[in-house]
Amino acid sequence: MLDRRATFWALYLPPLLWLGAFFVIPLALMAAFSTRAESGGDLLRLWTPSLKQYLDLFTSGAYWRLLRLSALMALAIATMATTLAYPIAYFLAFRAGRRAGFYLVLLLVPFWTSYLLRVMALKIMLGSNGVVNSFLTYTGLIGEPLTILLYNRYAVVITLIYVWIPFAALPILAALQRIDLSLFEAAADLGATPFRQFWRVTLPLSLPGVLAAFFMVFIPTVGEYVTPLLVGGSRGFMYGNIIQDFFTKAANWPLGSALSMIMLVSTLVMVAVALRLVDLRKLIE
Amino acid sequence: MKRQLFATLFIASLLLAACGGGTATEVPPDQLTGSLTVLDWAGYDAPDFWVDFQTTYPKVTVNFEIGASDADIYTKMKAGDQADIFHPYTGWLQFYVDEGLVEEIDTSKLTNWNKVPDDFKKIGQINGKQYFLPWDWGFTSILYRTDKIPEGVDSWAALMDPKYQGHISMWDDGPGAVTISSYIHGYDETNITSAQLALIKEEWTQQRDSNLFYWAGEPELVEGMANGDVWVAYAWQGAYATLLGQGVPVAYANPKEGRNSWVGVYGIRKGATNMDLALKFLDAKLATATGNNVVNLFYYGHSNQDVMNGITDETLKQAFSIGDPSILSKTNFTPNLTAEQRDDWTAMWAEVKAAP
Amino acid sequence: MKTRSPIITGYYWGLITLLYLPIAILFLFSINANTTLSFPLRGLTLEWYQKLLESDAVLRSARNSLIVAAGSSSAATVLGVMVALLATRYQFRFKGLLIGLAVLPLIVPLIVMGVALLLLFSAMHIDRSLWTVGVAHAVVALPYTLLIIVARLAGFDANLEEAAMDLGADYPTTLRRIVIPIIAPAMVSAWLTAFTVSFDEFALALFLAGTEPTFPVYLFSQLRFANRLPIMIALAVLLMIGTLTLVFIAERIRRVE
Repeated sequence: MLDRRATFWALYLPPLLWLGAFFVIPLALMAAFSTRAESGGDLLRLWTPSLKQYLDLFTSGAYWRLLRLSALMALAIATMATTLAYPIAYFLAFRAGRRAGFYLVLLLVPFWTSYLLRVMALKIMLGSNGVVNSFLTYTGLIGEPLTILLYNRYAVVITLIYVWIPFAALPILAALQRIDLSLFEAAADLGATPFRQFWRVTLPLSLPGVLAAFFMVFIPTVGEYVTPLLVGGSRGFMYGNIIQDFFTKAANWPLGSALSMIMLVSTLVMVAVALRLVDLRKLIE
Repeated sequence: MKRQLFATLFIASLLLAACGGGTATEVPPDQLTGSLTVLDWAGYDAPDFWVDFQTTYPKVTVNFEIGASDADIYTKMKAGDQADIFHPYTGWLQFYVDEGLVEEIDTSKLTNWNKVPDDFKKIGQINGKQYFLPWDWGFTSILYRTDKIPEGVDSWAALMDPKYQGHISMWDDGPGAVTISSYIHGYDETNITSAQLALIKEEWTQQRDSNLFYWAGEPELVEGMANGDVWVAYAWQGAYATLLGQGVPVAYANPKEGRNSWVGVYGIRKGATNMDLALKFLDAKLATATGNNVVNLFYYGHSNQDVMNGITDETLKQAFSIGDPSILSKTNFTPNLTAEQRDDWTAMWAEVKAAP
Repeated sequence: MKTRSPIITGYYWGLITLLYLPIAILFLFSINANTTLSFPLRGLTLEWYQKLLESDAVLRSARNSLIVAAGSSSAATVLGVMVALLATRYQFRFKGLLIGLAVLPLIVPLIVMGVALLLLFSAMHIDRSLWTVGVAHAVVALPYTLLIIVARLAGFDANLEEAAMDLGADYPTTLRRIVIPIIAPAMVSAWLTAFTVSFDEFALALFLAGTEPTFPVYLFSQLRFANRLPIMIALAVLLMIGTLTLVFIAERIRRVE
């Protein structure tokens, strides 16, 4: 049909051009930068491509461990955030009724405060003189303040899970909302208990949302750097911190670009493997 | 607003009177129009820090772009930022000259230049030419809680001392770490060998066990010390003055290896269109009101010697060790890095952070 | 099902409490007569709010953030709907590529996007401004809007559209009158997410803002100096109170209808 074709192009061209101009080209620039052997001289002059940066990185092997660790942290964080977000999405879809919109926005409003300030406040809560420790020592539950709450890798994981839960709820909510309520009636008529209804109807139908939530959290978390800076202490750094350091402290874009390309490719590989296992395409089509 | 208007008219009329029968073709300052863009660190865009320029040339618009760090400012300048004026710090100056990003400053056009001590003037010179105007400066030393460390601190090695495990805070900066190690071991900072760099990397990797967190901005450090988590830290005197002002018991050490000092400078971008206006801006930066604001609001030093001599606040006098005339001779100024050193030392620090 | 209500409801409110606890602490510090964030409070004062209202720069930065966030969210939502429709309703060559491209911004570190876009704009002699920040934000928010809308569209019965077209509607009309209304809640969700992503986004804004800073960039700039901190906290609290007020009013209105 003619108008279906026209509609196709109307839908296809804008995102294509937008992404091409503002995403593909900059990325290509970054890839090109990673082939630059050293960072001196004019930014945009031509240089002979070289794999020196990659060679250096592969031979020194200084950052592989950190990349692996960051991926594992991201895996844990995405799993926990998605799991803990599910009941929220469930509540909003099935228990909040007409107030669901209001409750949803209520969930998101704290994110319109500066993240920096919120984490500063969090640190006050968790620090050795903080609210949590003061309360625990006051009630006599502990003798010495707990130092484990802050400035280490665990603090990074916990903070990130905390931050991601409301976001992870959104795709799950979107998926839950399209479940036909009459399906529950039908299941109940057939004698299914509430638990079985959940297990056999709700959960499977919400899986696309759960997976979307998982990836939405996992992928950017691998490259996270702000939270480790704020609560990670001296040993909570992630791979993203190294990239950030090379761009903002060392002005060494070739090396920073090479590190970014490595992370990009690794993440793509991880996602491709995961999608193989899950076959997302089947779910979309 | 009214007060500013009066001040403007007052100063303008003074200037006019001073000009007297001078250059009749030159535009009077309060009529001068034009615009400047300044690439500066956050906070310095506040009118307090260019107040003399604003009152002398009220019709000139000054726009600010914010740079987050020396590397960021350098990145932006290399990427072709069109700012007329930028504000790097010692250590990072050589690159701008090597890459042809900065103009030479015609100091004969600066009326306040004679108020700047020779030592500071030299700091703005690269390859013998005056490329930069020294502006703000300060010390780096060890800041510590006197109630937690009553015996005091007298050496940079305190930052690595396992005695203070869990209560040390170091600045998040590779070249800074190399500097400290070179003070402690007596290395030549301008000539660190790869063997020395490997040792430095090893000792800072060990230091992580005692380090609570690396601070990136002074508020982080101030807070950490104020609530007692941090007992000893690498710090600029701004943090010292702030904490003293809050009544926290702290002291600013005079380590036997000597304090470190850094200087912030202003440069004019090569190819800036309005050189004359840019020079006027730099000149006004050296003036008294601006200088006083730098000292009183940021607790940083100013390159105008008159301003420094006019400090009366006791807290500030302590912070700048004004009572100690020999302090500058016991101070090590940050030398400018070569591109190779920058790459090596920042890479070293990244490996420290990534180590298991 | 009724028996599960209190637990799930309690869970929701528990999370809300946890989310708002840091906000409450920020509120306490916004009226604290001290510049460092530590207990005990030194006495109550409204001076920070006063100083805030006198500060043009702070308020302008908040306005800038609102503009950039609203603009980029709208762009990201529209683009997200387009790609979602393409993904679920069409077959074409390079379909996987388009979807992959749309989602890829999630993986690219924001710092990298910032530098790359900076290079692009420099090469094309485009001055940095709120526009450049907005463009970057739209790219970065697209994966979120896309995933949210796709989750809604996926499995949504295409028969409804077929039925509409059988009844004589052309495709654009079908989209407009059948599909869009059904995915409208997801679009709102997507817009809100994109807005949230943009409003507090810092890494890109720092690289790509010109002389007009967004709020996080301005906040960061003031963060260098401890005595400016309470004013920024006051602003954050004000924004929070303002937003919450709007949200509650909207809810009131909805209930009355």
